[in-house]
Amino acid sequence: MNYQFKWSVLWSGQSGSWLLQGVITTLEISALAWVLAAALGIVSGALRTVPFRPLRAVGTFYVEFFRNVPLLVWMFFWYFGVPPLLPRAAQDWIFNHGAEFWAGMFALGVYHGARMSEVIRAGILAIPRTQFEAAVAMGLTTFQAYRLVIVPIALRLIVPPATNESLNLLKNSSVALTISVAELTFQTRQIETYTAKAVEALTAGTLIYLILCVGIAAVMARVERRFAIPGLIARGG
Amino acid sequence: MADAAIRFRDVNKWFGKHQVLADINLAVSPGEVMVVCGPSGSGKSTLIRCVNGLEAIQGGDLVVLGESIVRSGVSMSALRTRVGMVFQSFNLFPHMTVLENIMLAPVRVRGLSATEAEKTARTLLARVRIPDKAENYPANLSGGQQQRVAIARALAMQPKIMLFDEPTSALDPEMINEVLDVMTDLAKEGMTMMVVTHEMGFARRVAHRVVFMDAGRVVEEATPDAFFAAPKSERAKDFLSKILSH
Amino acid sequence: MKRLLGVVVALALALAPIAPVGAEQDTLAKIKETGVLTIGTRTGSPPFAYVNKNNEWVGFSIDLVEMLVKPEVAKAVGKAIKIEKKESTPPTRIPLLTNNSVDLIAETMTDTAQRRESVDFSLTFFYTGAQFLVKKGSPVKGVNDIAGKRIASQQGSTNAKIIREKYPQAQLREFPDQPAAFQALAQGQVDAYTNDGIQLAGLKAKAPNPGDWEVVGDFYSEEPYGMAMRKGDAKFKAAVDAGLKHGFESGKYFEIYEKWFGPKGDVPYPMTPQVKTYLLKQIGK
Ligand SMILES: Nc1ncnc2c1ncn2[C@@H]1O[C@H](COP(=O)(O)OP(=O)(O)O)[C@@H](O)[C@H]1O
Ligand SMILES: [Mg+2]
Repeated sequence: MNYQFKWSVLWSGQSGSWLLQGVITTLEISALAWVLAAALGIVSGALRTVPFRPLRAVGTFYVEFFRNVPLLVWMFFWYFGVPPLLPRAAQDWIFNHGAEFWAGMFALGVYHGARMSEVIRAGILAIPRTQFEAAVAMGLTTFQAYRLVIVPIALRLIVPPATNESLNLLKNSSVALTISVAELTFQTRQIETYTAKAVEALTAGTLIYLILCVGIAAVMARVERRFAIPGLIARGG
Repeated sequence: MADAAIRFRDVNKWFGKHQVLADINLAVSPGEVMVVCGPSGSGKSTLIRCVNGLEAIQGGDLVVLGESIVRSGVSMSALRTRVGMVFQSFNLFPHMTVLENIMLAPVRVRGLSATEAEKTARTLLARVRIPDKAENYPANLSGGQQQRVAIARALAMQPKIMLFDEPTSALDPEMINEVLDVMTDLAKEGMTMMVVTHEMGFARRVAHRVVFMDAGRVVEEATPDAFFAAPKSERAKDFLSKILSH
Repeated sequence: MKRLLGVVVALALALAPIAPVGAEQDTLAKIKETGVLTIGTRTGSPPFAYVNKNNEWVGFSIDLVEMLVKPEVAKAVGKAIKIEKKESTPPTRIPLLTNNSVDLIAETMTDTAQRRESVDFSLTFFYTGAQFLVKKGSPVKGVNDIAGKRIASQQGSTNAKIIREKYPQAQLREFPDQPAAFQALAQGQVDAYTNDGIQLAGLKAKAPNPGDWEVVGDFYSEEPYGMAMRKGDAKFKAAVDAGLKHGFESGKYFEIYEKWFGPKGDVPYPMTPQVKTYLLKQIGK
């Protein structure tokens, strides 16, 4: 092998600031998409377990529709498919104001919301039906029973699979480079273009993703311990 | 008995094709304690779950506290604030402390302030004889203690009626009495109660009336004395001999 | 998938034991042993390298390898050889070379000083430069009109780099592939798409209504395409260059050019006298 490693490309020139920008964009798009995904996941996951059938159908439709179409297609949908529905002036405005980022964020959030929904539904189904009955038997409405009892318990049960899903979301944020979002993978490619040092650039990218994932997993583990339901044995605890 | 607290009139209920309640006619007067017994699967749970609308009925009429609950547009949440229920499996919310469990509905449904609700909750805990467990989580209580918290939680809404579905069946024998004692107190204070239980001692001492069900029907309805001394039906005799023999 | 491949390749390389410094590459010996010259080329860059309607993997770059390079390499190893093709893309092509998956990159790779630090390039076999594709009548007529405009480019391309560095007033949008960039142009997400003139000519030729589009502007960059090889393999480079040189001398190169870029070719792109002079100057003519 005759590859000349030159790790200094990662901190010489603009590489360092590009990587930093890439990390920031990746974290921004992932964080916003995560909030959206969590909100959609909780609402649709809960809808899929309520007694009222039409609401269940709405939840199921959302999940099946969004989960079964590849993320890349959703990126293109939000970026290429949605703007033409707007008036021309509005289109120009959003194209000048980060349409790429917002389209990527929506695609990521809505897609992972559908996947999060499955996780949350599984969490709710793991709660005995009688918990819900006990809640409504006290006079809580179905909505209150979900908001105050069922969802809070479910969220505590699903921290490990939700962590997994969150990490998937972070990793999938790189798909946004297909619509010109300059996130981390985009920036590592850029360094490769400038320096022709593909191995160094991709290694740096890989390591940064690894660090972000390990960091998030650590935070989620703390969350899990902090909110653990007394009496339920925490994993590994 | 126009002013019955609960009145079943020709009530029928099916799960799919399977009839689980057949032509039920029953009335529970205010302040009355009715014990419901019968073999497993006879429809006892279903019967009392109809009273607070956890199960819907398909035929007949069911009037609770003067209101027909089969009428369309009746608010189930409003009904349920006046009918407390205690389950076999306690069903305390595991992520909340004992106090939070008891305060939840008074604050969220009746709109009480946290201070008021807490005061009531602590009084109720004293009444069910565990004043010192307020800050504990359910997982750190024994089964008997959990069930007493569940009773306190139901009482916090100041219900007019209390429903009990085999409240002691999930308990170790040494804890059964602490729960039955609380229920006895409640009966003495004049609470209207429907109690599904196999605790025949409790029925004999506390109940005003015993209802024996089999296969979705009310087979016998009598005072405890009459029922235990001389059950009329073969099925009741059979049931009693089995239940009293162990 | 390609991105994944890139990462995997990179990791494999990073973790692999590093070969002794200065180990001599000997691609010819490898080809002699296997009888195969493996090239990395593209599947969707007509007319340089693409899969045509009959599902054949063809193109100008591939013809150059088959007709000019292959005979010379065969001569150098003293036996008949076969060409095998693998897909390469901008992010994967250098890793594919360095990890020996392919021996030669023959597609649309611009020969730059930076890349020469990692790989060696053959003689230039095609010469183009960056221009803009716009809707007919667009106010963008060249690189001096792009301030404030949204300009699409291809990620990893030299054009993107130049726009970013020299024309920061333009709003650069970088897409991973040609179809996405063209879609963005067609729908108005961007005002112009910049790429090598030849790529734009190809895109225009393939568009549903070629008449709606214009390739505008002088070359604002020079894009000489070369074939890339592992660095420091002088004997292999000599064989590849000899093949191309022979093509220029005999005129065979120009026949192949005519086949792909002539009036009847896939993408009509007549060779200007300057380009011809540039190409021939390489072989001292
Ligand atoms: N949700 C349900 N769906 C279908 N069948 C049910 C349901 N709940 C109870 N049943 C059936 O109704 C009958 C009466 O049940 P239940 O009221 O629980 O009896 P008991 O409390 O006397 O043991 C049983 O045959 C039971 O299998
Ligand atoms: Mg039962």
